Amino acid sequence: MDLQAIFNPESVAVIGASATPNKVGFNCLESIVYGGFQGKIFPVHPRYEEILGLKTYRNILEIEEKIDLAVIALNQYTTTEIIDDCASKGVKGIISIAGGFREVGDEGKELEKRLVEKAKQYGIPLLGPNTLGVINTDVNFYSTFYPMKLKKGGISIITQSGGVGLTILYKLMEEKVGVSKWIGVGNRSVIDFPDVIKYLEKDPSTKVIGIFMEGTERAREFLEIAKKVVLKKPVVVFKVGKSKKVDFSAQTHTGSTVGDYNLYKSAFKQFGIITADSVRELIAKCKALSLQPVPEGDNLGILTISAGPSIVILDMIADVCKMPEFHEKTINKVKERMGENPPLVIKNPLDVAASGFMPDDFRALSEAVIQDPEVNAFLAITIQHRHWRFPTPEIIEVVKNSSIPVVVCYPAEYKVVEKEIEKLAENGIPAYSTPEEAAWGIKGLFEYKHIKERFT
Amino acid sequence: MSGIEKIILDEYESKRLIQQYGIRTVEERKITSLDEAVEFTRKTGFPVVLKILSKDVLHKSDVGGVVVGIQNESELENAFDKMSQKFKGKAMLIQRMSKGVEVMVGGKRDDAFGYVILFGLGGIFTEVLEDFSLRVCPITEADAEEMIQEIKGHRILKGYRNMPEVNIQEIKNLLLRVCELMEKERILEIDLNPVMVADNAEVVDALIIKEA
Repeated sequence: MDLQAIFNPESVAVIGASATPNKVGFNCLESIVYGGFQGKIFPVHPRYEEILGLKTYRNILEIEEKIDLAVIALNQYTTTEIIDDCASKGVKGIISIAGGFREVGDEGKELEKRLVEKAKQYGIPLLGPNTLGVINTDVNFYSTFYPMKLKKGGISIITQSGGVGLTILYKLMEEKVGVSKWIGVGNRSVIDFPDVIKYLEKDPSTKVIGIFMEGTERAREFLEIAKKVVLKKPVVVFKVGKSKKVDFSAQTHTGSTVGDYNLYKSAFKQFGIITADSVRELIAKCKALSLQPVPEGDNLGILTISAGPSIVILDMIADVCKMPEFHEKTINKVKERMGENPPLVIKNPLDVAASGFMPDDFRALSEAVIQDPEVNAFLAITIQHRHWRFPTPEIIEVVKNSSIPVVVCYPAEYKVVEKEIEKLAENGIPAYSTPEEAAWGIKGLFEYKHIKERFT
Repeated sequence: MSGIEKIILDEYESKRLIQQYGIRTVEERKITSLDEAVEFTRKTGFPVVLKILSKDVLHKSDVGGVVVGIQNESELENAFDKMSQKFKGKAMLIQRMSKGVEVMVGGKRDDAFGYVILFGLGGIFTEVLEDFSLRVCPITEADAEEMIQEIKGHRILKGYRNMPEVNIQEIKNLLLRVCELMEKERILEIDLNPVMVADNAEVVDALIIKEA
């Protein structure tokens, strides 16, 4: 299925565009305009002459130019009818926003069946119904009815829920990390997860694929494609639906024991897909994977000014990496900085307490750990203080001269740490304000390392 | 799996089918008379197990269709009489008592995933404690190894108190063979439960539902 017109149209018709800001149709159009889309935009409405300064057409067939993509912001009934006009116009993709289809019962199911039959008969890739649409920051195309502008970056998101999809976007904004594509698959009636990961596999600006999934009838196909995708880029899935009932019609014990959620979890592991159990974990893993390289070995080195956060983190990552002992050279470097008998035990994690409060000391100690020949990934932890600034420029400087992956943990108030997180992200360093998120970041990197080893 | 014609294979038929894939089953005989039962014990000795064999009774122990630990001929006669009265006119299976650690292997064809395979320690471990592992078929030997390591009770297989260490390779082979047979035989659901594992893995009870 060719999704080029969905993600990267040259011209878009917004059918059901409105001039009233409290209408979805207005916001759909405004989103495209506000996002800075450089392609052609054609609002369609039976009565308006002009919306947002754009010439408005009574129907899609009145538009003289070719239309790649039709975004339909009409109700479920008119959406189903208008497909015929879109086909006559020769559109190469449709985004169907309205809900009220199979998610509402038998009548909706019938309606959706007609919609899908038409789309398939005309051979038009249809996204939705019941979706917010897509975002492609490569071309500043934002088809959702939540107007926004995102930082460009390597994370692409596929979501089955608009609400969770937006939650993910707002969290990504907080994390100061950039997005490549965002797609709401909605009811997945024509375009489903397998079609989208296939597209993202070949998308050069997508470095990591993050997914929010409720479930798909095409699970097997999704797995088979994902198995190939993960050789090139990591796939992280947050799957919900733990309470979904098992199949009680089954006659064997196995048939009634195998739950849907368990099956997804096991299959993800088997096919090299990284899993997350929350939006925060999904974002933390995607952030690290989009900014940092994969570690070349299993060893992590930690520098911290307090033991506690490193213990929290170690508990969460014990099954994916090891903590090597420091090389003699590293120990000597630490002693050089701290004096022959420093008030600390020189071991990994290196808890330096007061000896690391000043940025210059933190820089020297970071350098010592990062240069240790046994260390394949580095984690730096320091905590917000009213008088002592964060060692952000120092960390950036040290990381510049190193090729191993680095994660930073700054436990702090968000408003204080925001600029630091941004500065670090701009320099390709994932920083987090809680130990849990830092642990997920590290875990994601090592998990992907193990997956690559296993499948290549 | 609605709209598909199903065939249920009884325990005896299920075992004949899995044997074709090199899966070992417990020594047993299908009988209709006490004489045949006694003759079986002359060859194998005691203890033995007597089970009802019928497609109407899929979960035999729930309805008193299984007598285990039969130690001698008079116990055998008693058990045979009771079962004959309870399940009139139905055939029975007499089996040698198998030793080892109890595990279960199961599988089903799922609408979204295709063939999937399950491994667990059987009994309450699998169904009550939900300690089981799953994979999508086909699996590799590494997947089979992971399935065994993944269950919380896997240490029991390494020998615990009076239980001996079992042959893990035999479980792996069993898992691989069940995947193979599910695909080749168009199986909808399969339960090998229990399987007794010591030096070998021996299937004690089996139930298969196939596509017609």
